Amino acid sequence: MKTPDIFYVEDDVDYAFFMQTAVQELKDTINLTIVEDGTEALHSLQNFAESKTKPKLILLDLNLPGLSGLDLLKIIRDIPYLKSVPVILFSTSDDPEDVQASIEFGANAYLTKPDGYDNLVKCLHSVHDFWFNQHLRLN
Amino acid sequence: MNKFSVDLTNCDKEPIHIPGKIQSHGLLIAVNKSDLNISYISDNASLFLKAPAKNFLEKPLTSLNSFIKQQEAEFKIEDLLKLGVIKKTFDSITPYPLVINENPFYLIISPSENDWLLEFEPVTLQYDIQSLIGRSASSILKGKSVSDLLKGAVVEVKKLIGYDRIMIYKFLDDGHGEVVAEEKESDLASFFGLHYPASDIPKQARELYKLNLTRLIADVNTVDSPIITFKEYAPLDLTNGSLRAVSPIHIQYLKNMGVYSSFSISLIVNNELWGLIACHNYSSKFIDYKAREGSKLIGQILSSALEYRQEEEDSEVVEQFKDTATIITTHLNRDKYLVEALTGHKRTLLDVTKGTGVAIIFENVLKTIGNVPVETDILELVAWLKINSDESIYYTHRLSEIFLPAKKYKSIASGILACSISKDPDEIIIWFKPEQLTTVNWAGNADKSVIFDQGSASLSPRKSFEIWAQIISNTSEKWFPEEITSVLRIREIIVTFINKKANEIRLLNEKLQAAYEELDTFSYTISHDLKTPLTSIKTYAELLLKNKSIDGNGNKMLERIISSANKMNFLIREILNLARVGRSELTFETVNMSSLLKDINAEIWTAFKADNIELILGQLLSLKGDKTMIAQVFTNLISNAVKYSSMEDKPKIEISSYTNGEETIYAVSDNGIGIDNRYYDRVFELFKRMDNVKDIDGTGVGLAIVKRIVERHNGRVWFESKLNAGSIFYVAFKNR
Repeated sequence: MKTPDIFYVEDDVDYAFFMQTAVQELKDTINLTIVEDGTEALHSLQNFAESKTKPKLILLDLNLPGLSGLDLLKIIRDIPYLKSVPVILFSTSDDPEDVQASIEFGANAYLTKPDGYDNLVKCLHSVHDFWFNQHLRLN
Repeated sequence: MNKFSVDLTNCDKEPIHIPGKIQSHGLLIAVNKSDLNISYISDNASLFLKAPAKNFLEKPLTSLNSFIKQQEAEFKIEDLLKLGVIKKTFDSITPYPLVINENPFYLIISPSENDWLLEFEPVTLQYDIQSLIGRSASSILKGKSVSDLLKGAVVEVKKLIGYDRIMIYKFLDDGHGEVVAEEKESDLASFFGLHYPASDIPKQARELYKLNLTRLIADVNTVDSPIITFKEYAPLDLTNGSLRAVSPIHIQYLKNMGVYSSFSISLIVNNELWGLIACHNYSSKFIDYKAREGSKLIGQILSSALEYRQEEEDSEVVEQFKDTATIITTHLNRDKYLVEALTGHKRTLLDVTKGTGVAIIFENVLKTIGNVPVETDILELVAWLKINSDESIYYTHRLSEIFLPAKKYKSIASGILACSISKDPDEIIIWFKPEQLTTVNWAGNADKSVIFDQGSASLSPRKSFEIWAQIISNTSEKWFPEEITSVLRIREIIVTFINKKANEIRLLNEKLQAAYEELDTFSYTISHDLKTPLTSIKTYAELLLKNKSIDGNGNKMLERIISSANKMNFLIREILNLARVGRSELTFETVNMSSLLKDINAEIWTAFKADNIELILGQLLSLKGDKTMIAQVFTNLISNAVKYSSMEDKPKIEISSYTNGEETIYAVSDNGIGIDNRYYDRVFELFKRMDNVKDIDGTGVGLAIVKRIVERHNGRVWFESKLNAGSIFYVAFKNR
């Protein structure tokens, strides 16, 4: 299995499509893997740990059927191999309580889903700049 | 011997049971209980027995036998005495008829401390009065009410003893007496309704009235006969005797009234001296023993009838009160409002006592029934009660004497009975009783009764036996124990009702709170769930815009889709914000307003591209509150100011603050389009927009959020505005 640059858990097929489109527009060499629910995500995460493949960035939708984004975040932080992977919670909600919970559970950032395509592309630009360039340099 | 010298100052101490004398119409012989020797004898024995009295002293009882002729010759007085001792009563033995010097006498035997009292008195009645007494009793008992009973009794007693005046004298609470029934010869002045001071019948006399139920004073003008004895230091106790001599004070009292003969019968109700049947004759008139016994019987019948009727009348009142309590309880259970239930029906609070007016203050509303003082007077009284009584019940029948302002409405409320009905001392019920301007006609002026004679106050009671009147003012009828019990009963009912209602309101409030929370959750969830599909709509529209195959017309439509989605998105965000105000906990902190406002203004000026607007910042005091929410308040207020003034020539916005007591007040003013004051109340309502802002984007949620946040902080929000001149919005936050 090819190591994804971004591993994205999103149950909304529309938003998954926008993300796919936006990432391609941003940089078509970026490998984006999208899974639709928590169970599938769990399966992939275990595979990453076993095959020692580490995504550069994990994006989690907050509201998922079954296991939620926060549940997945906890699981990721409990897998030693994936512990250091940056995780960003990605949600429609801008409720301060959600933000606070995510940070407490160890999310590296919390992003409110941008409104509209153009905003999404802008947002991905800054995420890419920070987590793929600047952030890596910091490491 | 009795050396007690009596005058008006000590007549309540006079030992009237051991006068050392008897009334001279009869003969007294006392024999020692153990040896039956004659221990005392009245001096007038010499007249009756035709032998010197002192010759009989310390002689055996049998020494009398030769002087007294009995119906059965063999039967001696000694045997009679022994029979009585065995029977333990002389009731069936005496009066024992016998003859002394050809004259018929009755022998009446009664016990004294160490002696038997043998009293001999003349027989005057020639016929048997038993049947008369029976008829009297049944005619008295026909009386339905207490007053009918009393009237019946005086009529019957008059028939029986034939005295000129028969009165019933009732003792009132403070010991003074009132004539409550009278039967008299028509030419006599009436004593009915007269009051007599308590001192007229001293305490020890009242005690004797309880022990010896009849008392005859046969002739006030005869000279008493002394009792002679060898036991000079052991005066003979005449409590049970009927010949007992009368206190000189009492004799004088009767003489002052012109009374020659007096007779009284005790009325004992519930073991207390209720009163007397007092009989006066204006010439001397002896009453035969049998007629006295008959009168005594009538007295006893009247006593027990009084006891029964009084209880019956009392219990009728009690039943009435209980009935009222039951009816009021029913009203309380059925009616929605307390005061309405207590005052709005046929049976009301007024029926809880015998008061003639009642006022209730509940939830700051005063409601009255019947005769009550004016509202300001009632409120003043309540204020006084609040300070002067910490009991749940307070009552007086002489209000104006302790609370002077009550004097001006004493005719309505000389008596009050107040009862608190909640923890709030202002919630109270007060019953009122009017002044009873009672004219009390005193019989003889007690103040004039002491006449100074040769430097010492000596006896002469009631010398001037004129009626004098005293008007008892500032006084109402007393509050009876039954009324107080009734009030306590009603109080319990009301307090229970109020508690029940409070509980219901509390539950309702909890439900309301829950409903509110549910509504917030609902708005939050639905807004949130609307956001996702809306984002999809907008995003697809944006993606389509990038599609080169769509023509200009199509592009315009796509732009309209995006614009509508933006508006909707904004509205959803506002509703989310509003719902969040209700949902989230407040975190209080001191908010540095100059830094917060700097951020907010920067954001707003960018968003609205408002570079043409002049911003003037005054004093920016820090506020205590939830920082996020305060930011929301000012974002909304300043956004509005910007939005509604940006089209002016020289738009200007000012923000400043000041402290006023416990609050810090911020004012945000603009010179924009202003608000029509007719809509003042609607400005803060959800989704309300004024008609002069149709062309300006807005949701009608912003100020509703401001109001909700400010209220959650226990603050205030208001505005001043003039159409086409500008608005000033004020928000006040507590400083605590």
